[in-house]
Amino acid sequence: MPVSHFLLMTLYAFLVSAFFSLLWKRSGRARWKLFLQLFVCMMGGAVLLAWLMYPFPSGPPAPLHGG
Amino acid sequence: MSEEAQGPSRARALGRREILVLAAAWLVPGSGHLVLGRRLRAVAFLAIIAIAIAVGVTLEGNLYRVDPERPLTVLATLASIGMGAAYFVLRFGLGYTGHVVAAGYEYGTAFLLTGGLMNLLLVLDVWDLLKSQRE
Repeated sequence: MPVSHFLLMTLYAFLVSAFFSLLWKRSGRARWKLFLQLFVCMMGGAVLLAWLMYPFPSGPPAPLHGG
Repeated sequence: MSEEAQGPSRARALGRREILVLAAAWLVPGSGHLVLGRRLRAVAFLAIIAIAIAVGVTLEGNLYRVDPERPLTVLATLASIGMGAAYFVLRFGLGYTGHVVAAGYEYGTAFLLTGGLMNLLLVLDVWDLLKSQRE
């Protein structure tokens, strides 16, 4: 299965935002508001963090097996 | 006197029902809300958790089990078991463990753990709803 980091991050943010907005809010308007807040915060936070980390070198990949 | 005699038995009956509803809520995500008449939320919760687990399995994420040499795996296993019957079906029915060298291993593990933790939160929500019904 091809893995798109951005797609998986978006799906994860969508699921978590939908879950908490349904769990914590009762009315439709409040649910949508919380959903958008959570979704934008997660996506925006991840993009911001990635932008802040961009100047730092990633280094060699970690070995999968020790020894 | 008769009320006093009925009181504890009534409390026991409610307690048994609560335990059954909570067990159902844990085994099948959303079933607790369904029993309590919250159909739409039940379907939505079931869909969200089922998608999280399905994506986690498709990406070959780790379905945690206890490793005595790594104590933190106890917590991760408890979080995974939170997904309910799906954990036991995957682990014992299908022999699923995950694949550490799969490209989506870390992502898949995150999805599986999140599915379990979300269902545990649902169980707590059902417990809260049962308490408010009782009062």
